[in-house]
Amino acid sequence: MAGKKILLIEDEELIIRLLGRKLASIGYDVSLAMDGEEGLKKMKENKPDLILLDIIMPRKGGFDVMEAMKKDPQLTGVPVIIISNSGQPLELDKAKRLGAVDWLVKTEFDPKEVVEKIKKYIG
Amino acid sequence: MTKEPDKNTNNGAPFTVAGGMPRPRAFSSLNINLADKSLAPGLPKEGNKEVVAAAKSAVKDFHEMPKSSEWQTDERTRQLREQVKFSEDSRVALMNMLEDMEDLRRRAEEEKEKTLAIITNFADGLILFDANDRFMLANSLIEAAFGVTREEIRGLIGKKIAAFQLINGFRPLIDLIGPVITEVSRKELYISENEIYEVSSLEVQSGRGKVGTLIIAHDISREKIVERMKTEFVSIAAHQLRTPISAIKWTLRMILDGDLGPITEDQRDFLDKTYKSNERMINLINDLLNVTRIEEGRHLYNLVLVNLEETIETLVANYGQILEQKKLTLDFEKPAAKLAPVKIDVEKMKLVIANLIENAIKYTPAGGNIRVTISQKAEGLEVAVKDSGMGIMKDQQSRIFTKYFRGANAIKMETEGTGLGLFITKNIVETHGGKVWFASEEGKGTTFFFTVPLAAH
Repeated sequence: MAGKKILLIEDEELIIRLLGRKLASIGYDVSLAMDGEEGLKKMKENKPDLILLDIIMPRKGGFDVMEAMKKDPQLTGVPVIIISNSGQPLELDKAKRLGAVDWLVKTEFDPKEVVEKIKKYIG
Repeated sequence: MTKEPDKNTNNGAPFTVAGGMPRPRAFSSLNINLADKSLAPGLPKEGNKEVVAAAKSAVKDFHEMPKSSEWQTDERTRQLREQVKFSEDSRVALMNMLEDMEDLRRRAEEEKEKTLAIITNFADGLILFDANDRFMLANSLIEAAFGVTREEIRGLIGKKIAAFQLINGFRPLIDLIGPVITEVSRKELYISENEIYEVSSLEVQSGRGKVGTLIIAHDISREKIVERMKTEFVSIAAHQLRTPISAIKWTLRMILDGDLGPITEDQRDFLDKTYKSNERMINLINDLLNVTRIEEGRHLYNLVLVNLEETIETLVANYGQILEQKKLTLDFEKPAAKLAPVKIDVEKMKLVIANLIENAIKYTPAGGNIRVTISQKAEGLEVAVKDSGMGIMKDQQSRIFTKYFRGANAIKMETEGTGLGLFITKNIVETHGGKVWFASEEGKGTTFFFTVPLAAH
């Protein structure tokens, strides 16, 4: 796992700091983005191995980010795990269609469990 | 005719007229020539006693004759007058009757017009069928609601309900009530996002029995819009609540896990309790969110074909830790043979089973047992969750599925709770076309049952 690159796109400062710290402490190479646009820019720059993506964010939301990724052949294969405060079936369906590999509702998980999920996809 | 005069008029007896009418006066100007043989052709020429008697008698007859014919004419006139009067009376009576009839007809017409006006301008859509399910009338709201024209509707008169299928606009209605009207009560008919009706069918009864069927389409679009707005509001509010609460959860978790540096035992104790309070808050918000999601209805149901016993099996395995803590046992009797698959929204159905199991865990004292069984019945799969818990108080059993309701003994045992679990459970089961019920005895335990209809082939 060491050195694997994770991009965390999330607008809630506390969450991004906590999760960023947790992932870094394990040995991942973590980059952070506070909204969708910044996230897209960063994923083009440093080609992450996995993306953690929030849905409701300013400027560009998670669904828009995934749509943009679908159009870019360089980004299509990158696994995306959604981290959101919601998890209604309609949203889950949409995320699956757009290529997300998993969905976590933040209140149902804690950082440790998020790490376990990540390990499932990139070891 | 009751005034029949005495017909025996030739014997010289006095005239009697029933009713004591006076005898008509003799007609004095009648002259008869007694020598005229033609008046008595059979008389012998020679006079004798017989001849004289005959002559006297003839004369008498002749005297009587004018009296008789005078009376007859008089009587006839009287009778005619009577008849005329009678006819006149009859005519008047008939005219009166006709007038009354006309009046009644007019009144009936007025009543009919009034009724038609009410039906036409009624705020709900109305369709009336006769006792043989033949179409009779529909009002203008029906035209508007189903996008059908007056001409199309008129063309349907006398046709059976099934004919409605031929008109495009009526198809959703026929899908709902069926080609033969069945008893329908407040079924929702979704035409578009902003046009929703509640359809009921009503048998129209008279003293002689069924005279027809009335279909009522009540417009509930406005209520639905308000409901949707309310749901959206609650949903957004709940989302807003979840964001800070997950930040709190994650922070506390990381501090407790030592990710943010060492803490003292005293600090750990406080933070641990804070974490638990926060978890309770999360549960409350989750319940709130579930209510809004279920009220939002059909769009959220993602139906897939699954084996329900497998869903239950994976779910039951989640409770190891809590069962150990509460010193309870939980058994799932997996059926020997594979059951027929069911078409369900797996996430929602899991919520149903989880709600029932978690209630059993919450309200069963230490040492108790919870059993989950599943079996195939005629109407579908039947799942039962049986506990040896405190039971539901008899006087509160009818309210157990009501929103926000919590049993008095349940509150005593477990102060936390929203009273939404069983409400949500019932909604989910019923949206799947199943039923939910229970059997309970206070102090002994409760068994909750629910059914899931088998997938149509």
